[in-house]
Amino acid sequence: MSSRRGSASKLTEDEVNDLIFKLQASLPHESNSTSNKKRSASKILERTCIYIKKLQKEVDDLSDVLSKRLASGDINAADAELIATLLQL
Amino acid sequence: MKNPNYPLKKRLASRFLKALEKIKYNMSPSPVSIEEKRRRHRAVRGAAYASMASSVGPRRAWSRALLRKMRERKRARRNPRNADTRFGLNQLCDVVPGGEAMDSRSLLNETAHYIECLVAQVQIMREILHSSSSSSSTTL
Repeated sequence: MSSRRGSASKLTEDEVNDLIFKLQASLPHESNSTSNKKRSASKILERTCIYIKKLQKEVDDLSDVLSKRLASGDINAADAELIATLLQL
Repeated sequence: MKNPNYPLKKRLASRFLKALEKIKYNMSPSPVSIEEKRRRHRAVRGAAYASMASSVGPRRAWSRALLRKMRERKRARRNPRNADTRFGLNQLCDVVPGGEAMDSRSLLNETAHYIECLVAQVQIMREILHSSSSSSSTTL
């Protein structure tokens, strides 16, 4: 997608909706059969906010556990195997 | 279109692991106060977001916003959006770093990339935990 500077126009509602629908691809797929249904833009935005907050909470929780594990000495950040595994993620 | 995820994850993993080592090195030995535990939690979480921001660098508005916040701890400048009515994007700009200063197109663009980076960061953190738990007998 070519990057168009916002100098030309304000966004039309169609353009915004188009971007929002593209955003849907970043969200986890719904398991029920309604995933084919065209979702409203506002619903997608709502799901996006919920998803981001969920991810941020995961970072917070994982940080908590990691910080405790650091203290107990279980984590060796220089471990070659660990690094190799991470790069294959 | 988009770069493959691999270089991002490589940078993320490398930076985050280095940050963890530094935190570990600076930890005082037990016994630890509750305040110290909270400090460590904040340190790891800060390292997570700092790794994300520095791995992406200034290429993205959200990472620039995070880097700015890390350096200066000042609020991002609000840009006048004039006729850009945001079409109900207000909640989104609260969760994306620097969102309040972005126009609608940028915000939606930035959001997708921010999500991608968050997902990668979470995967890395889980993997570090997973690999450490398999070598120890302590439970979560």
